[in-house]
Amino acid sequence: MDIDNGRHPPKIKIVYCASCGYEPQTLELVSALMHAFHYDIASIEIIPWQDGAFDVAVDGDLVHSMYRDGGFPAPEAIIKAVRERLAR
Amino acid sequence: MAVTHERFEQGMTYDEYKVQMTRNRERLEENERTVELSADDIEFFTNLPEPLNVLVITEDWCGDAIANVPILGRLAAESGKLNLRIFLRDQNPDLMDHYLNRGIHRSIPVFAFFDQQFRPIGHWIERPAVVTEMQEKMLANLYATDPAFADVAPGTSIAVLPDAARARLMQAFAAFRAETRLLADREVVRELRDVISRGLALHQEA
Repeated sequence: MDIDNGRHPPKIKIVYCASCGYEPQTLELVSALMHAFHYDIASIEIIPWQDGAFDVAVDGDLVHSMYRDGGFPAPEAIIKAVRERLAR
Repeated sequence: MAVTHERFEQGMTYDEYKVQMTRNRERLEENERTVELSADDIEFFTNLPEPLNVLVITEDWCGDAIANVPILGRLAAESGKLNLRIFLRDQNPDLMDHYLNRGIHRSIPVFAFFDQQFRPIGHWIERPAVVTEMQEKMLANLYATDPAFADVAPGTSIAVLPDAARARLMQAFAAFRAETRLLADREVVRELRDVISRGLALHQEA
């Protein structure tokens, strides 16, 4: 088991609007990230919020914002952002 | 899209809606029990010239719906003049897309009023305008004065907000909801009366 292969594993935060019923999209993204990265990420933090939010940050960089970018992110887009962070 | 009598009757009664709720039923019923309605408000609805049909679009996970649908439920029970039919937003996109907030947002709850011939009277969406304005002012003040938000730009995503700032924001929202509930309830009733009064006046002019 190679925990981080010498790299700094990124921390991911997912903010979802709990009053909007966005749990399925949140869990779909979490599942995609878990299957894509296994031990290569430090953590996935899920933050229930409100006001229609569905935002994703990787190591403090906002990689998707429903308000800024519109809609839900494709899990592939978030996986790509995490891969880019791992490659640094 | 015109709402027909047949489509309207496909909705649930208020009691049927409460029975099928999978969450927040206790909060909804507590809000229904404790909302303060004035004698003048009850008189307004009781004295409506005819019973109104009210199409309600809602979901049991929505905070604004849990706060505001029971106000309508109490008004219906107290006045006997509001015939409610409840539709779940996510199962009725044809109805939801007819009442988009600012033309784009699927905000709920929606209360759409019709006369006995199903001529539209008017509709109301989500929450009172004054509450939204007060919430925006509360947030602006918080960002400007609270040390937890030093060097944090207003509108910063929660996903990149420092933990201390996020915790402070949650406290502020909880306090805001508690402090403004009475005003918010009164504003809901005032805005509903305004929607109905204006709609009925237009019908009379026509």
